[in-house]
Amino acid sequence: MSNPTRILTVDDSPSMRALLNHALSGHGFDVAQAEDGLAALDWLAMNEVDVVITDINMPRLDGFGLIERLREGSRHRDRPILVLTTESSDEKKARARAAGATGWIVKPFDPEKLVAAVRRVAH
Amino acid sequence: MNAEEIQAIFFAECEESLVAAEQGLAACRDGTHDADTVNAVFRAVHSIKGGAGAFGYVALQAFTHTFETLLSDVRDGTVPITEPLVDLLLRALDTLSDHVSAARGESAPPEDAVLQAELTAAMAANAGVPPAPAPEAAPHTAPHPAEGAGSDNGAGDFDLDFDLDALLDDISGEIAPKAEAQAADEPRWQMRLRPHAAAMRNGSEPLLMLREMGDLGGRCEACDISAVPPLDALDVGTGYLGWTFSFPASVTEAAVRDIFDFVGDDCALAFGDDAPMPPIRYPEQPAAARPAPAPTSSGLAAAASAQTPAAAPAVHGAAAAVPGSPASALAAPAAGSAPPAPPAPGQSIRIELGKLDKLIDAVGELVIAQAMMAQRLAGQGLAVAEEMAMIEGLTRDIQESAMAIRAQPIGSVFSRVPRILRELAASTGKHVKLEVSGESTELDKTVIERLGEPLTHLIRNAVDHGIEPADQRLAAGKPAEGTLTLSAEHRSGRILIRIADDGKGIDRERVFAKAVEKGLIAPDAVLSKEEIDLLIFAPGFSTAQQVTNVSGRGVGMDVVRQNVKDLGGRITIDSEPGKGTTFTLTLPLTLAISDGMVVNVGDQTLVVPLANVVESLRPAPNEVQGLGVNRCMINVRGRFIPVIPLARAVGAEGAATDPVDAVLIVVETEGAGRAALMVDAICDQRQVVIKSLDTHYRSVEGVAGATILGDGRVALIVDVDGLVSRSLASAGAATPLAEAA
Repeated sequence: MSNPTRILTVDDSPSMRALLNHALSGHGFDVAQAEDGLAALDWLAMNEVDVVITDINMPRLDGFGLIERLREGSRHRDRPILVLTTESSDEKKARARAAGATGWIVKPFDPEKLVAAVRRVAH
Repeated sequence: MNAEEIQAIFFAECEESLVAAEQGLAACRDGTHDADTVNAVFRAVHSIKGGAGAFGYVALQAFTHTFETLLSDVRDGTVPITEPLVDLLLRALDTLSDHVSAARGESAPPEDAVLQAELTAAMAANAGVPPAPAPEAAPHTAPHPAEGAGSDNGAGDFDLDFDLDALLDDISGEIAPKAEAQAADEPRWQMRLRPHAAAMRNGSEPLLMLREMGDLGGRCEACDISAVPPLDALDVGTGYLGWTFSFPASVTEAAVRDIFDFVGDDCALAFGDDAPMPPIRYPEQPAAARPAPAPTSSGLAAAASAQTPAAAPAVHGAAAAVPGSPASALAAPAAGSAPPAPPAPGQSIRIELGKLDKLIDAVGELVIAQAMMAQRLAGQGLAVAEEMAMIEGLTRDIQESAMAIRAQPIGSVFSRVPRILRELAASTGKHVKLEVSGESTELDKTVIERLGEPLTHLIRNAVDHGIEPADQRLAAGKPAEGTLTLSAEHRSGRILIRIADDGKGIDRERVFAKAVEKGLIAPDAVLSKEEIDLLIFAPGFSTAQQVTNVSGRGVGMDVVRQNVKDLGGRITIDSEPGKGTTFTLTLPLTLAISDGMVVNVGDQTLVVPLANVVESLRPAPNEVQGLGVNRCMINVRGRFIPVIPLARAVGAEGAATDPVDAVLIVVETEGAGRAALMVDAICDQRQVVIKSLDTHYRSVEGVAGATILGDGRVALIVDVDGLVSRSLASAGAATPLAEAA
């Protein structure tokens, strides 16, 4: 418990990344950012992380694709992955679920809830 | 980083998104789009919506929602891309842009009710599912209430979704009473839980939930190990256990359910003292069942005892199938998992402008310090020191790199033009095709920001006055649709921006007549074509027959020229009757540093911006002609140019008074043509860091700013335009320059 929980936030929107960073860093989390799924994979190839929070609709590699790619390998099979998006339709949730998402947070998020959610899934 | 800074990022992002959407829709209109184009437009609008929600811009959010929903239909192919649709989307984009401005507080929010209805109609009309909307259609046509700021969905409705958002509402430290706090003899109630076998593969960790239940005051009464297989069949990634927990009566069922809400159907729950342990569910089986909200399924008990995958169908049958279950969605992800990756966009970081300006300032000081050191070394006979040359080269590199950081592609300005043309088409009925080139040409951010207004005005002017109505064009043998060409290019350290139309050209007779009527020129004046063209920049000149709401907005072309001049630029006209008019703007790359010629005038050192300098020469006696008492002209290759003694203009003492003893610098000005500045000597040509005189002293006519020379002295930078026109207007009058010096 001595090391801060490391979180990778994946979102193509700089303001959303800034908001996430703002909400999470303030609570002692160690936050890294990636601008899309491929950038996230690149970053994860070189770094360790405890929780991934990802947007769905992103260029190059979207959130579904990212989750699937992470679940394919053994390294991130058990990684908690939270999906953060405005698209709250059941179909999207089901798809995220099928891809292997751990949980779902609807944008706009409440910073407190976000932090609680991360605490809850962080192993 | 505070909220305001994040907000600033959001608005910058909005601009980028609007540009991206504009480009995407333009491609749709031209038929050069593909699947990713529409998705890019969708994403742009979507990302504005996300931020709008986060920052509480309700109107913006509501509009983007409607817009996005239609785009989503277009993306999914349920709404075909047609011309009217693209037109509708473009109009929606314009309104979206207005909404963004409103969110910034720059304008009132636009009236969008009609447009919203149109957008909604476009969805419904093409959905193929006439009036009776599917249950999920409703949230599509209006902003989802749950998505508003501070959503409070899920209160009371137990929908075991894995929606963390609302469900975490009441979970935090203080509502987790410690077990010790509970009365020991308080009656307790029981519940059972069993994570599905595959729960851990989704990154869930049942232990965390057990801990939370413990924090709530729960106590583990029993652990069901009946599903644990023999060791050789055990899979470490699969969960086999179920638990029975008891809670004090003060803990509500809802509080316990909250713990599991976000894991959704990863975990089966059964409440009530007599509820059976839910059966284990293996991943092979389609996880279609949501856990029953109440422990009613007594039939499950039988199934539970047979802990094999074979028992699964019974469970499946007992539970209600949920639409969009993972089973049905399994096929879908393939589409999203491997989109053809476009070339990676350049990695970028955002820098606060203030920090950047600090850097630029420091680089400016570095340039000065380097010059001072060079001068000192030269004084000690070390002018050729190799290290000095290296530092000089590096300084220039650093300076150029720093400038490049401030540079932005002009595309951000050009991208607003399609909208202007659309609005003009609506108000004038003239449809104009836009051709753009060089949009990646970069120039200083400040220049870009201040370029929008003059450029807009020139474009309005070109469409309003330049391009003829369609019937006239056809009669003249031109295509009915006019063409406006925008281009930008680097040329010898400056930026050339051209705005060309293929309209009727400047009607010089009318311009001349108008100028006479306004008293700007004498009726018998003899003017060259170029001089007549330049009259349209004269203050108070407007040739519009009646004031239209397009160009006749009270500001004339003189304001355009002033704007360009303020940016250190020049504007020229090239017009051919019947063929069209081209306006060319010549702008500096940056406002902070410029090339200057350092000159000595008597006891003063001044800097003449190199941009104005045409040539310098030492006149022969026979080339100088006196004019009146103390004015003279110089004959430069057959053309007479007025000589302006810089010493007199700035009040310097001890300067040469005879042009033959002096150096003449021929300069080009906006308002007064060419003139020759008389100085004693040219001492250097170097880059100078421009320091505003306004901020340190006050604005002085004839002075563009000040700079620090290599020896540490301050030198004034001459505003050639102002100085020449003033000197010519009143030769020998009092000199404000002198007092500043």
